[in-house]
Amino acid sequence: MAQYADIVEILAPGEAAGGSRVDITVRIKNTYSSAIGIMVGGALEYGVSPWPDISFPDPSANVDGGATHSFSGYFTMPDKKVTIHAYSYYYGGDGSWHFDDEMTKAIDIAEEIESEFGSIEIVSYARR
Amino acid sequence: MGAVYLPSQFGVMFLPLANVQVKPGDKLRITCQYSHIGQTDSQPLYAAIGNEGWAGFNEVLHGSKTINVPENATWNYHEEYIDITITTAISAGFYDLYTKIGGTFPKVISPTLLDVVEVMAETPESEFGEISITDYAKV
Repeated sequence: MAQYADIVEILAPGEAAGGSRVDITVRIKNTYSSAIGIMVGGALEYGVSPWPDISFPDPSANVDGGATHSFSGYFTMPDKKVTIHAYSYYYGGDGSWHFDDEMTKAIDIAEEIESEFGSIEIVSYARR
Repeated sequence: MGAVYLPSQFGVMFLPLANVQVKPGDKLRITCQYSHIGQTDSQPLYAAIGNEGWAGFNEVLHGSKTINVPENATWNYHEEYIDITITTAISAGFYDLYTKIGGTFPKVISPTLLDVVEVMAETPESEFGEISITDYAKV
């Protein structure tokens, strides 16, 4: 259970093709009574070490008390199933970021469809 | 008048088609539509003029080029053309037409359009046959 920066959900596709860009949104709620600084972070778990980071162009924001903020991020889909780990942090009175919450979501690798031709027909013919 | 025979719920449907007249030196441009799904692909697009017979299609002239098909997540239709140069290798008469995608083992083959190409005899060289006086008067 988060203290102040509660991760509500991770919005991401259920599957993605290897090598494609995957856009995600992490929604974090400020459960404190007034505005605080909230920061997002993320990493990808798929069998490599260290876990690669997820890019968040705007990773922090001042969020009003009780409000939920959406943080947009992206990463390149590896060639296997990946688990997103999203983290939340709040800015404490001591001037430091404090880890608060974690949520995970799995993204399957999309099966690539082999090239297939269905039909062909002549639609016109003309002398040139 | 050419034609194509298409299977339908009523049996075989006869679809009359206009024919095109060509002669040696011309190019015949054939435009076709094909459907594709899946990853990007490069395949030869092939078209031939000839005669459909009991033993298959007897090709006389053909044209081919490579087409680059983009990735299609769902079935998509694409249009492409191919030119066949009409040479003296083909004699005057009516011919059939078909196209296909793929090499030795085609991916798809179009229905054959019957008698849609009429190859005209080559225009003979300039030649004068005879001359005669048709009139004479003072001017």
